[in-house]
Amino acid sequence: MNDTYDKHILEVSNLCKIYHKGKIEIPAVKDISYKFHNGQIISIVGKSGSGKSTLLNLIGGLDVATSGQILINGKDLIKMSRYELALHRRFLVGMVFQSFNLIHSRNALQNVTLALAFGGVPRKDRKEKAAELLKSVGLEQRLYHKPAELSGGEAQRVAIARALANNPKVLLADELTGNLDSSTSKEIIDLLMNLNKEKNLTILMVTHDIETAERVSDNVIRLKDGMVISD
Amino acid sequence: MNLLDMFSLGFTNLWRTRLRTFLTLLGVVIGIAALTSMVSFGTGMQKNVEDTFANNDLFTSMTVTSEEIDLEGMMHDAMEEDTVQKQSIPLNDSLIQVIREIEGVNTVFPEIWFVVKLEIGEETSSTNVNAVPASMGEFKPYNDLFAGKFFDNDSSKEVVIRWETLKRLKIIAEDEDKPYSLSEKDSLDGVCILPVDSILGRKIKVISAVVNAPQIALGGLMNIGADNQPFKENISEYVICGILKKASSFSNDAYKGGIVIPMKTARAIPRTNFTSMWNFFSKKKKKGGYNSLYVRVEEIEDVKFVKKELEQIGVKVFSIGDQLKEIRRVFMIMDAILGAIGTIALIVASLGIINTMIMSILERTREIGVMKAIGGSEWEIRKIFFVEASAIGLVGAIFGLILGWMVSRVANYVVNTSIMPAGEETVILFYFPLWLVLGAIVFSVVVSLAAGLYPASRAARINPVEALRHD
Repeated sequence: MNDTYDKHILEVSNLCKIYHKGKIEIPAVKDISYKFHNGQIISIVGKSGSGKSTLLNLIGGLDVATSGQILINGKDLIKMSRYELALHRRFLVGMVFQSFNLIHSRNALQNVTLALAFGGVPRKDRKEKAAELLKSVGLEQRLYHKPAELSGGEAQRVAIARALANNPKVLLADELTGNLDSSTSKEIIDLLMNLNKEKNLTILMVTHDIETAERVSDNVIRLKDGMVISD
Repeated sequence: MNLLDMFSLGFTNLWRTRLRTFLTLLGVVIGIAALTSMVSFGTGMQKNVEDTFANNDLFTSMTVTSEEIDLEGMMHDAMEEDTVQKQSIPLNDSLIQVIREIEGVNTVFPEIWFVVKLEIGEETSSTNVNAVPASMGEFKPYNDLFAGKFFDNDSSKEVVIRWETLKRLKIIAEDEDKPYSLSEKDSLDGVCILPVDSILGRKIKVISAVVNAPQIALGGLMNIGADNQPFKENISEYVICGILKKASSFSNDAYKGGIVIPMKTARAIPRTNFTSMWNFFSKKKKKGGYNSLYVRVEEIEDVKFVKKELEQIGVKVFSIGDQLKEIRRVFMIMDAILGAIGTIALIVASLGIINTMIMSILERTREIGVMKAIGGSEWEIRKIFFVEASAIGLVGAIFGLILGWMVSRVANYVVNTSIMPAGEETVILFYFPLWLVLGAIVFSVVVSLAAGLYPASRAARINPVEALRHD
């Protein structure tokens, strides 16, 4: 795989996340350190409860680490205010989830324009830009369909288009093929690979599918009980 | 995300749950309707009273007396006869001349009131005579008569009669705009409706009582028989030249004369010289002076200066304008009490808003999580919910004002048709000034925003990881 990356886009050091259930401490991520290079596809694999999604949520700024450091563009996520974290989610990372997480009352176009609205894109430009993004994921015929009227693969494409709305540096994909059949999964993975190539987009992908992870990724991080066992 | 986006999102969300939004809105509508109709009743009462004062020119009028009318003092007069020895200024023609010279004073004349009996045809009625100079014809209420004209000189044999006085004489002056329908009682009493043309120019007898001096001297009080009475009647005959408008229900026409007679003509009417209670109680007998003087200033602003000047002369001045502050204070208290009652309805409605918003947040937890995941800040999410709450407040206020206005119209109609006596001038009991309309809208939005405060903050603080797992 390609190993000539000029810089790290993301660096995680000594990252820990401990959840508290009453007085019981449940460590989800234990002392993870890793450098993510720009333009790589990195898969995070592991069994359920190994801390994959937690790691992704921490990098995505949806959750806050207990200790350690997450450096993105030279800034430490752990030291960020809640507003800065929102800006991080808005402009630096795009997230895609297994269950698509589209807003059911809004059609494909409106789901994407919402992200553009948060990104401060002027109202008049949003529709055009959203249509372009949906076209880039092959959904030009589905602009005005609501999530319920879309297939799983189409819904996931809308989610990807939405995640790319504000030109993020990193795409975080949490089991994005988990709800899809194998052929649709392949289409989605191919789409990600194209995005990676065309936009030099760094992709962090949490998956159960070790085979696909090894096939498409520059690096695979294996997690067990919140710790990296190999990469 | 700009304000337009917030509104668009907010309205979409409210529209999505139309029925619930409508019911919440209904609560606010009722609250605002209750609040505004109550306060508008208070402001309506105040406006009616103030308008009545203004229509009768009371704000530019003053009454000058030589001493303060001190009811408490009168009670103790017998015991404390000599304790207070105020030097009082006699209210005479030379004082009138002095007052006339004061800057800002427009008219000064002695207030002359006495009781007479009026007679038209067979009908008689007692009333107060109000002696007024012809120059007052240019001021309210004399410049805006129901019909006819004001007399044009002080010695004229023409008089202006009040609409109500005519009614007591069983004549209803026909009003083409508001036809009067005779009640059964009216018909039995022999009341008839006459066109104004047939009233103007009619002769009216003014009968005053004069002391039958020889009889008193002879101890006539003990005698029985008309000619031997201590008083005898003096009959003067005048022509009706004008009819004063019907008084509003908020003015008490008892203090006004039922008939207005030119100043010199009135002074020439022989009469017994005790016309007011005050004369009975007065410690000092006037030496050719008047009981009180009427002073009219040019503008309301002149009242203060003229009053000060008059007080320097040493006379007592009473003006309604002085009481205005007090009157307004009373109405403010009344408005506050009515407003507080109306506010209770709005507070109940605001609980509805809180409930609706919390329900909405519970239903939209995942959506809020998504918004956070794609970069929505806490403040933006908070604003979306604020917009929803304030939209409920704004729309509720507008429809609440419409409902409140409609309720007030119905109440007004009921009062005017069922409660007020027939033939009375229609009263507008409710008044919606601009400040009330705008205030109600602002208040409703503020209360709604306050109601949205907790739900919005709760929405903003939703943990996105948990929200995205939410079903």
